[in-house]
Amino acid sequence: MNVFRNLYNYRELIKTSVKKDIGGKYKHSFLGVLWSFINPLLQIAVYAIIFPLIMKNNIENYTVFMVCGLIPWTYFSTVLNRASFVMIENGNIIKKVYFPREILPLSLVTSETVNFLISSLLILAFVLINGMGISIYALAFPIVLLAQYIMLIGLALIFSSVTVYFRDLQHFIGVVLQLFFYATPIVYSLEVIPEQFRWILLLNPMTYIIDGYRDIFYNKEMPEISMLGIIIAIGIAVTIIGYLLFNKLQKRFAEEL
Amino acid sequence: MQKKTENRIIVEHVYKNFNIYFDKANSIKEKMLFWNRNKKETREVLKDINLTIKNGEAVALIGINGSGKSTLLKLMTKIIYPTKGKITVNGRLTSLLELGAGFHQDFSGRENIYFNASIFGLTKKQIDERLDQIIEFSELQDFIDNPVRTYSSGMFMRLAFAVAINVDADILLVDEILSVGDAHFQEKCINKMKELKEQGTTMVFVTHNLGSAKELCDRAIWLNKGEIQLDGKTDKVIDKYIEETK
Repeated sequence: MNVFRNLYNYRELIKTSVKKDIGGKYKHSFLGVLWSFINPLLQIAVYAIIFPLIMKNNIENYTVFMVCGLIPWTYFSTVLNRASFVMIENGNIIKKVYFPREILPLSLVTSETVNFLISSLLILAFVLINGMGISIYALAFPIVLLAQYIMLIGLALIFSSVTVYFRDLQHFIGVVLQLFFYATPIVYSLEVIPEQFRWILLLNPMTYIIDGYRDIFYNKEMPEISMLGIIIAIGIAVTIIGYLLFNKLQKRFAEEL
Repeated sequence: MQKKTENRIIVEHVYKNFNIYFDKANSIKEKMLFWNRNKKETREVLKDINLTIKNGEAVALIGINGSGKSTLLKLMTKIIYPTKGKITVNGRLTSLLELGAGFHQDFSGRENIYFNASIFGLTKKQIDERLDQIIEFSELQDFIDNPVRTYSSGMFMRLAFAVAINVDADILLVDEILSVGDAHFQEKCINKMKELKEQGTTMVFVTHNLGSAKELCDRAIWLNKGEIQLDGKTDKVIDKYIEETK
C-alpha cells in the first residue's frame, strides 16, 4: 500500500492545495465566499421557475425536491469538468517538480467537496423555509456523501489523466455531462419516465446518490443503505481502475504537457 | 541501513528517447481525421547510462547544450521516466530545476513558503520549524506578507532558493541556477551549499559554470551526445573537457 504511504507523506501538499483552491477562488472577488451561494441560487431560481411551467408535475414542494438533486449534481459536474483541465492547468509545476501527481485530482475533489458542504446549507435553508423540518435521518448524510466522493475520486483520476492525451475530450465531457443532467432524476422524478426507458436511469449511479440525498431531506426517511453499499463498492472499483490507468498514463505527463 | 543508504542514486542501463512530432495530433478529432499526420522522429537523448552516486558526493554534470544533462537530472527526480533501464533513488530528494515552480502569484511570500515546501514533501510542523530560517536566508523580512506578484525577479528567486535549500533533503539536484541573483546572494548560496555538503547532503549539479563546479564538486561527469564521455575527479574531467571543446 505504497500509494497511501506516499499520499500520507505529502499530506501537507494536499492540505495546502485544497486551501489554495478554496482561498484562491474568492481572493479577488468582491462578494467572496457568497458566490458559493449566489451561483446555485440563481440556477435554482431558473429551474424552479421554468420547469413547473413547461413540465406539468404534481410533486409537492417542487423547489425543495429539485434543490435536493441540483446541488449534488452541480458538485458532481463541476468536479468532472475541472478534472479534465487540472493537469493542463498545472502543466508548469508538473514539468518542473516531482510530487505524486494523483494529488492534483485528489485535492480538486476534496476542495469541491468543501464547496459542496457550504452550498448544502442551501438545501437546509430551503427545507426549513418550506417548513418541512429536519428528521433524524439527516445523520445519514455522510454516507451518501462518501458514496459520491469515492465515485468522484475514481472518475477524476480517469478524466484528469486521459485528457492530457486527448485534449478535445474536455469539450466532449461538457456535452456528455449536460446529457446526463437530463438522464438523472434531478428536475423530474423517476416515476414520470415511461417504464420501458427507466432502466437507463437505473443504470446511472447518480440516480441512487441523488435518491439518497432526497430520502434524507425531502422524504425524511432512511436512504437505502444496501443500494448505497453497492454504489460505494462500484466507486471503489472505479477508483482502483482509475488509479491503475492514471499511474500508467502519468509517466509521460511531463512530456505530453 | 548503513549499507542501504551508501548509494544514493543508482542509474542502470538507462536509455531515454524523445518522440519529436512534426505536427502532433493532440485530439481525437485530429487522430481520426489525420491519422497519417503523426509523423514523428525518435531522438535518442540518453544511451546506456550507468552510474552510481554515493552518499555525500557532490557531482557536477557537464557537457555542451543538448548533451542530455538536464534530461538525466529530470529522470533522477522522476519528472520523466526512462524508456529503458532503471533508476533507484534512496532518500528524500529535492530538485531545483526551475526556481519558483508552483508559486502562486496572488498569495503572500509566507503562504508560498508553505506551498512550495509542501511540494517537496514537508509537513506543517517541519515547515513551521524552518520558517524563520527560510525568511532570514531569503532576506525578505519586510516583504514576506506581500503577494509574490509584487516581487521583483530577484526577490522571487531568493525566496524560491531559500525554500529549496532549507528542506533538509538527502539529495539535492540543481539545474543551472547558480548564475542568478546578485554577487552577494550567489556567494551566500554557494556557501550554503558547501555547508550542506559538509553535513553530508548528496548533490548533483548541472552547470556551465566550471569555476563553481570546481569549487563545489569532487566528482564530475562529462556527458557527450547522450553518453558518458568521462567520469572522475572534477579537475581532471574539466581540464579534458575544456581541451576537447575548444
